[in-house]
Amino acid sequence: MSGERSFALVLLEMTLLVLFGPLVTGTIQKLKARLQSRQGAGILQPYRDLAKLFRKSTVQADTASGLFRAIPVLVLAATVAAGALVPVVRAGTPAVPIGDALMLLGLLALARFLTAVGALDAGGAFGGMGASREMTIAPLVEPVLMMVVFSTALVAGTTELGALAAHRGTSWIFAWHAADFLGVTAMLVLLPAETGRIPVDNPDTHLELTMLHEGMLLEHSGPGLGCMLLASHTRQIVTLGFVSALFFPIAVIDAGAGGFVLGLAAFAVKILVLAIYLALVESSYAKLRLFRVPQYLAIGFVCALTALALRIL
Amino acid sequence: MIPPQPGQQTLLAGVFLIAACYGAGALSSLLARWSGRLALTVGHLAALAGAVTGLGVSLDVLLGDPGSTLTVPLPNFFPFARLSLAVDGLSAYFLFVTSLVAVAATIYGPAYLQAHSPHARPARQAAQVLALNVFLGCMAFVCCAGDAMTFLLCWEGMTLASYVLVVSDDRDGENARAGLLYMVMAHGGTALLLVAFLALTERAGAFDFAALRAAAAGLDGSTRTTLFFLALVGFATKAGVVPLHVWLPRAHPAAPSHVSALMSGVMLKIPIYGMLRFGFDLLAPVAGPLPSSWGWTVLVAGTISAVLGVLYALQQHDLKRLLAFHSVENIGIILIGVGLAMLLWRTGGAGEMLATLALTAALLHTLNHAAFKGLLFLGAGSVLCRTHVRNIEELGGLARRMPWTAGLFLLGAVAISALPPLNGFVSEWLTFQALLGGASRFHGPGGLAIVFSAAMLALTGGLAAACFVKAFGVTFLGRPRTSHAEHATEAPASMIVGMAWLGLACVALGVAPGYAMRLLDAPTAGLLHAPGASAVVTAHGPLVLSVGLTAAGQSATSISMTMLAALLVALAMIAWILRRGSRGTAPQTAPTWTCGMIPTSRFDYTATAFAKPLRLVFAALYRPRREVIRETAATPYVLRRIRYAGEIVDLSETQIYHRVEQGISRLSRTIRVRSTGHIYGYIAFVLGTLFVALLLFGVRRG
Repeated sequence: MSGERSFALVLLEMTLLVLFGPLVTGTIQKLKARLQSRQGAGILQPYRDLAKLFRKSTVQADTASGLFRAIPVLVLAATVAAGALVPVVRAGTPAVPIGDALMLLGLLALARFLTAVGALDAGGAFGGMGASREMTIAPLVEPVLMMVVFSTALVAGTTELGALAAHRGTSWIFAWHAADFLGVTAMLVLLPAETGRIPVDNPDTHLELTMLHEGMLLEHSGPGLGCMLLASHTRQIVTLGFVSALFFPIAVIDAGAGGFVLGLAAFAVKILVLAIYLALVESSYAKLRLFRVPQYLAIGFVCALTALALRIL
Repeated sequence: MIPPQPGQQTLLAGVFLIAACYGAGALSSLLARWSGRLALTVGHLAALAGAVTGLGVSLDVLLGDPGSTLTVPLPNFFPFARLSLAVDGLSAYFLFVTSLVAVAATIYGPAYLQAHSPHARPARQAAQVLALNVFLGCMAFVCCAGDAMTFLLCWEGMTLASYVLVVSDDRDGENARAGLLYMVMAHGGTALLLVAFLALTERAGAFDFAALRAAAAGLDGSTRTTLFFLALVGFATKAGVVPLHVWLPRAHPAAPSHVSALMSGVMLKIPIYGMLRFGFDLLAPVAGPLPSSWGWTVLVAGTISAVLGVLYALQQHDLKRLLAFHSVENIGIILIGVGLAMLLWRTGGAGEMLATLALTAALLHTLNHAAFKGLLFLGAGSVLCRTHVRNIEELGGLARRMPWTAGLFLLGAVAISALPPLNGFVSEWLTFQALLGGASRFHGPGGLAIVFSAAMLALTGGLAAACFVKAFGVTFLGRPRTSHAEHATEAPASMIVGMAWLGLACVALGVAPGYAMRLLDAPTAGLLHAPGASAVVTAHGPLVLSVGLTAAGQSATSISMTMLAALLVALAMIAWILRRGSRGTAPQTAPTWTCGMIPTSRFDYTATAFAKPLRLVFAALYRPRREVIRETAATPYVLRRIRYAGEIVDLSETQIYHRVEQGISRLSRTIRVRSTGHIYGYIAFVLGTLFVALLLFGVRRG
């Protein structure tokens, strides 16, 4: 099988995702601040936070095992590896196969699994609570994401994201099937859950009533916390890239350096659209009670199941 | 007589050697007259030799000429049935799975039994050694049986030996009840198998599989399906498919841990072998696809088992019981693949290839589950023998005390949660691809059912991850909750070696699964008479797994576990440099943040608390019951003591078994009124029954 995306391009795209991950967070925070009539921190603030954390020294819980120090490393590695599976500047199968959409979800699940294990390591109630809640929401989100992937994969005959994007090509809304609209709806419902945002999670607080993901990071500090934060920035942009690869148009042909810049600009626009969506949702809704979240996710499930039914029947 | 085939002599020698090793092991129980410890060591060493020979023999067959069946005649014990062994690809593959786990279990066993029950009486040790060797020998030969008689004898030997092992460990009432339930369920299943086999042997006039196959060729559709369902229910009972699983979570934890590893990792796979042998070989029609009811039943049963197995596992706090429920889940995942293969086989077009893909996924998951479930049970055994506690709420903090065990258990936990880059992900990925391919072939409700099954499989994976975060975190992390856990020490070296062997298998099967496809060539090609696994899955070289969902060659999906693992390692190295930070100083330690209070082990999240959100989300299935008793002092604000009790129910137990039990009790009460206690009355009953039977059958024959 001849791939259309060279290995160097895949690695370059992965690096770009890691580098621009914090920028997306910064943008969303800035947008939220403006929507709330605040000035807000600059969009580069996440980079400053990371730089500060990597300069600090580490304080570790005295009950933590040897595993605790390895957790941030493994979580970051798994999340960044998921970034290698997302087509950024153009579609097509990679020349060196690494993984497909299921692998991407698997790698994100691996990162989540390890984060939850790390949260239990220190032996505090906050970490346990965060881990318990995160591992409650995750099994409800994953099947629906899988079903959305299946609803597009059934047409394209592949689950490889580059090939799925190539199948979608540059055609957009006008060429969409009803199942596509439902798939997008399901994805938009799930997006706040997968990126850890309101109405499912609140990324801004450590309060025990609201926290899922942040609760698990409580005992990490210094560079370790930096790794964990970088991993969550990366996870966010990877998820957004995943959605855009499934549903947004993307260039298929290779057009040299000009095409690369154009593809990158197009990707930035797509991510920006999704970031604005997330900021709007976060500013206009309240956090749901934990036991309401399954009902909220059920909307996504119904949309995804209907999308699949429309594809098959 | 069959002309001697090439390889027959080697196989004969190998089979003889396996039998000799297990036989010697069984005989070594006599050494217990002098020293129980000596019997344990010698018996396990003999079993290890048998397992290693089994690995050699099975690899020889699997990597040799595919598609050939080697037959070994056995001495005649019965005038009416000629006993023989027939080893083809499928047999050899299951022999391989058996031997792989047996190697680990026999290395692990002696030290475990010594550490777990140092004051055991020699008689008990003799019984354990005898039963273990008989168990392993029967499991090895039941897969290689060439006729119904050998199959049933070995099947029964496997059940009896495992029963002895189940009740051998701690002699308390609960183990005895678990053993009894196991016995009853297993024999109920065997009775159905016996009927299925005897119906075939009666037609064939012989017991060997070749004759049965020939006799089955002339069956009409409904008889064929009836026989298949008899065999299916018989096998499903032994495999622990919901709702026939109730014995499994009781019996598996009761056995010594290395035997639990064998029971969960291997014994549950023997019925899978039986289903494949019956469905695709003995009872398969000469041409055309299998009846669709077979595949749909297996697929639906597998899906239900997978979801319910993991849901019940989530709420268990007994480490070994939790693992036993995960076996129900994984058998379900295997059956999803088997059912799909049954649906797609001989449907033409891409169906051939997809059937091979589904069967490959099922067989690979069989091997993978053997590796990681074996590893997890051995890990649980190490915890058990060092703490003598099975309830994970009483553990905690073991990762600092037993680092090797903790690391290997975590490896198994990642593998069973179907997370990359380990082996569980590979077989689930193949299952997903097969389901997706199947869905695109079945339009209408069938396709939707298959996709729904895929969604349930995804749910299963997520819940398994949640369950193992709980199991690993509460057992190994945080602070020790009792003095049992506080004074635990690392397990003996031989036990760690046994676990590491299976851990290595998990990593190897995860990072380079393409090489394992060569082992699957002979069973898939032999069973389906189609291109083998490596032609379908590793068409682009052994490092890349690629499948096409539609007609061959069109837009395939490729992944490379090896590349992914390399990428992960490289990224982890970069991240490690980041993690060290610019200062590079050793981390300071400080107490865990508990809002200013002095941290104690009571701040640790418990398993009950961890699983609570999911208990509430799935409350309709669990029907949870909780009881909180507060004892207060003079004012209600000062609690003197609080007691919490909670439990969940197994729906199949309350809805099916309890009702059946009530029915039987009611019936027996009715009968008791009629039974007078006089011997004449009973003789009259017997004579009357005989008379009626003679009348009925005599009339028919006349």
